[in-house]
Amino acid sequence: MLTSILDVLIAGLLLGGLYALIAMGLSLQYGVARVFNISHGEFIMLGGMATLTLFTVFKINPLIAIVICGPITFVLGYIIHRTFFRHLLTSLPIFGEITILCTLFLWTVFRILADYNYVRLNQFAALAICLVIAIILDFALNRTAFRRIHESRVAAGVFESTSMLFSFGLMFIIKNIAFIGWGPSIRSYSFLQQPVSIAGALFGMNRLVTLGFSILIGLAFYFFLTRTRIGKAIRAAASDPTVAQLMGVNINQVLALCFGLGAAMAGIAGVLISMCYPVNANMGIEYTIIAIIVVALGGLGSIPGSFIGGFALGIIGSIVSFFEPGLALVAYYFIFGLLLLIRPKGILGK
Amino acid sequence: MWRKAIGYSLPVIICLLLLLIAIPGCQQAATPTAPKTTAPATVATATKPTTPAASPSATAAKPTKDKIIVGMSRPLSGPLSVIGDSAFRPIYETWVPRVNAEGGIYVKEYGKKLPIELKIYDDKSDVGTMTRLTEKLILEDKVDFLWPACGTSFLFAQAPIANKYNYVLITAEGGATSLKDMLPSLPYVFVSLSFSDWYEVPVLADLLAAKGAKTAYIMYIADLHGIEYSGVAGIELPKKGINIVGIKSVPPDIKDLSPIIKEAKALNPDAFLALAYPDQVMPATATSMELDFNPKAWLGGPGVNFGFYHTAFGPAVEGVLGWTTFARKSSPKLAELADILYSGKPEETNDWWGHPLYWAALDMWKAAIEKAGTLNQKAIRDILATEHLETVLGDTWFTIIGGGGGLLAKECHPGEVGQWINGVFEVVGPVDKATAQFVYPKPPWPKK
Repeated sequence: MLTSILDVLIAGLLLGGLYALIAMGLSLQYGVARVFNISHGEFIMLGGMATLTLFTVFKINPLIAIVICGPITFVLGYIIHRTFFRHLLTSLPIFGEITILCTLFLWTVFRILADYNYVRLNQFAALAICLVIAIILDFALNRTAFRRIHESRVAAGVFESTSMLFSFGLMFIIKNIAFIGWGPSIRSYSFLQQPVSIAGALFGMNRLVTLGFSILIGLAFYFFLTRTRIGKAIRAAASDPTVAQLMGVNINQVLALCFGLGAAMAGIAGVLISMCYPVNANMGIEYTIIAIIVVALGGLGSIPGSFIGGFALGIIGSIVSFFEPGLALVAYYFIFGLLLLIRPKGILGK
Repeated sequence: MWRKAIGYSLPVIICLLLLLIAIPGCQQAATPTAPKTTAPATVATATKPTTPAASPSATAAKPTKDKIIVGMSRPLSGPLSVIGDSAFRPIYETWVPRVNAEGGIYVKEYGKKLPIELKIYDDKSDVGTMTRLTEKLILEDKVDFLWPACGTSFLFAQAPIANKYNYVLITAEGGATSLKDMLPSLPYVFVSLSFSDWYEVPVLADLLAAKGAKTAYIMYIADLHGIEYSGVAGIELPKKGINIVGIKSVPPDIKDLSPIIKEAKALNPDAFLALAYPDQVMPATATSMELDFNPKAWLGGPGVNFGFYHTAFGPAVEGVLGWTTFARKSSPKLAELADILYSGKPEETNDWWGHPLYWAALDMWKAAIEKAGTLNQKAIRDILATEHLETVLGDTWFTIIGGGGGLLAKECHPGEVGQWINGVFEVVGPVDKATAQFVYPKPPWPKK
């Protein structure tokens, strides 16, 4: 009996550690950067797929992949915020932004036409044509329409909705790039798949390692927020961005930093997930859903709340799975619904 | 005000003009030729009439046609692309260029060989889109033939549409007992893939019983596939004296399988069956290794039959069982097929279950057209329903169900149950078609 209870609790903690890490990233992006990032799961996918490639092709240990994938996803997230999201905060796009978006749009149109056999043209030639059209359009728009509009900051509510819609688009873009690069196959690799006994209950060594890293990264991040100057700026920006800006905080820099850190945590979570579960280019959305549930459970924007919420959800899932595995997801949604009725702000929400 | 209006509309007009110029330009670049290859003749020696040299007068009397247009709605994106891209897609992408390299399919009605042109739409793994696209292919594009969508549930939706318009539909990925039950009312539908009671699970039950297995634990995915397979296993295994000591369904998005593996381990069954998809079979394998769960027989499918399963776990999966059709040793023709499909390609592309059956289905389709000498669906359907045709599997035919559609005869299957033995997915059942001896009990997971 005691072994069974221990079994269920530790299994819950193992799963919860990953959930906590995933949710902390989203919480940071939403709580501070105000981006309800639907593409969060795609950064997890990128971390997982990149680790698989690093392990299977370059024989790089997945634990070392953490220090590769974390910074890369951070830089990716930072750049995305500094370019696209930053300009959703204001009313004007910059020169180059239209070019990228329009190229992607036209190229997607071309690919659809090619799929339906309306067009047969080399993909790279088509990309070049799309790029030329996009540059001309960007130039024309900047010289005419955008020249007449003055830059102004949009309202917070407007930014939240536009950024969420943009993150939907980002999700499709990242996913499809991953499809092109890695294909749709399910992949996996063996790493530390050996049993470890804890008071009679058996667990995989890889899962214990992921739990250890999740807690370590969670705590390191907590201390970063509470004990460093940048952490203080982030908390100030989360509390009141306008006042924080008046106090000398470079708000654009902080928001981009938060988005990048959120992406980095997703990337690291992807690395850890790939050590235990199969990965594929299509896996992102299911983790996004879990992250949303955990963030709502912990309280929107609360990092410690997400940490606790992740573990709570993991343990709930484990208990339910012990009796009926088919009801685990039902239980997640039930808890989510219940919480919205009883405490809509979440466990540690303000 | 007018200046403002012009200022806004000018860029839009420029963009539209550029698009109008670019799209027809691209279309002009398109060449409606079928994929070509310099590869040699197909492995399949489908009924091959000699091509008479058509004289000008003879040609003038015959109806004209330059190509056979085959339409497909396939999951080129979305979750099902995982299956579609590794199952039927590599087959038609290899088979069609090889046939076209020979000039195409000889159709007596037109007095010449007609190359195949594929018209493929992406259904985005959505069944609603697939049904719309299927009807579009038939009604608007007026394709000559329809090739199948991907997945059992998609076939449930597509088969009645094909049948309604009297289009022959030879299926690829997918097959189910409940689909078999529908066949009497679907005379134009022919199922090529083997499945639960056709004839995989009965063969597995025989194999396990012969080795003295007494107990089994079943984990199955909570969808049509899992319910059917577990249902058939629940009937076939007890028939052979194998007790089901535990049975548990899992949702498709399950993350942690350890409660199930721990429960199975506590019950100590002789055989563990994971009747689910690669998404669940792969973590079930990993969790069994982590928890040191070593039943005498461990079966997972579909999933174990794919090359990517072996590349993921390597030699650790020695002795693991899965559903299969063939191995290189099954026959010289199948060995040649394996070379055509897999040589020089990563192991991830291998599928030892479906590939030869899909290839044989296309061989049968070609042979039926050549034998009928026409593209008339009814004539081709009648040949498929009544005649034996030569394919990569050898003499091949469909077993007609209730006077309607058919299933690829189980006697034509080169195998049903496979096992990883020395790094090769060998056929171990049925015994008379085995390419290697069934290893029972399987070796324990290696300790790292």
